[in-house]
Amino acid sequence: MSAQKLHIDSYERGWMIFSAFLLVAFAVAVSVAAFGMGIQVPAPEQRVDPRTVATDPNSPWSNPGLREVAPGKYDAYILARAVPLWEYLPKELTVPAGSSVSFYVTSSDVQHGFKIQDTNANFMVLPGQVSKLTVKFDKPGAYNFICTEYCGSGHGIMYGAIIVTP
Amino acid sequence: MNKTFLYILYGVLAVIILSVFAFTVFQPIQVLPRMQLAPAFNLTAQTNTPLTSEDLRGGFTLYTITYTNCPAPCYNINEIMQEVQSRLDEVPLGGIPVNFVTISIDPDRDTPEVLNTYAQSIGADTSNWWFATTTNKSLLKTIIGSGFETYYEDKGDGAFAFDPSFVLVDGWGIVRSEYRYVTEVSNADRILRHLGVLAEEVHNSTGSTKLAYEAAHLFLCYAP
Repeated sequence: MSAQKLHIDSYERGWMIFSAFLLVAFAVAVSVAAFGMGIQVPAPEQRVDPRTVATDPNSPWSNPGLREVAPGKYDAYILARAVPLWEYLPKELTVPAGSSVSFYVTSSDVQHGFKIQDTNANFMVLPGQVSKLTVKFDKPGAYNFICTEYCGSGHGIMYGAIIVTP
Repeated sequence: MNKTFLYILYGVLAVIILSVFAFTVFQPIQVLPRMQLAPAFNLTAQTNTPLTSEDLRGGFTLYTITYTNCPAPCYNINEIMQEVQSRLDEVPLGGIPVNFVTISIDPDRDTPEVLNTYAQSIGADTSNWWFATTTNKSLLKTIIGSGFETYYEDKGDGAFAFDPSFVLVDGWGIVRSEYRYVTEVSNADRILRHLGVLAEEVHNSTGSTKLAYEAAHLFLCYAP
């Protein structure tokens, strides 16, 4: 058997080149987004103790809710929990339009999700970790947030809302 | 000839890509992120002398907030400050000074004299620990709320709501770390370790090593 040049159909070759190009294009897009534009990826910040996170008086989730840090700038500490009843604490937040809200979300029991409809905020909420993301609400209206990770039989009733007033 | 050149080119590219991966995976150098600029301020310290952000340049500064009328049990802010202060000799700082600043959010009652008495009552070592505030309330809110991104609010009945968080600022006046919640490793341990990471960067980040430190910043090799 002699060495033979591998025959590739020109149509197939086109697709191979195109898929290789896609890989490079996505790698460049992710790098530009992360380093050039500073787009934040929801990342666990530091480990907290899920057993005491809701009860320790030094922990902000012992008193969850919205804090106005500066005019138009808020911190929202939200606790997701399956015990006793699947819910977010607090269930409803009200901010004026144009506010920028930093969400600090953690769980005191099992894994949950946190997705705010009509925004690009969507992250996992893990016990022992804090997920942080900043969202700017420009348009008035109700933005529901829902649990996106199956967390038990009450998963379907786990939701809340951010009311953006004009 | 042409083929050899291509192989060398691929080899060089592969080495570059693999070394970038190795750098980000194994993280031989860890740094603290440069989060944002710390606010400039001009406060009055417990010694009745001005304390400005410029006075604290060139050293690391740990900021926190409180008020002296905070009813017991208040947060364990002072305990953490004192633990970090007393254990500073565990950190190889290499001569870089570390200062501690507790800003009072209640300037009506916390005059410099009251803060001085308060510092003595908790047994604070005031050689490098300042208790400061300003009577300009909107400026105070801007410094703490907008500058340090720490929440506090006057509840009107003499009580204040606030978050017991700490902010670590480096010698250039850049915020390098925040401690907002109770973590499994105690906040004092984390602050002490972070001071060591900062000091290491200050001492080693010169010449060509500076490029490696900048690479660590670029690839987000952050110390836990």
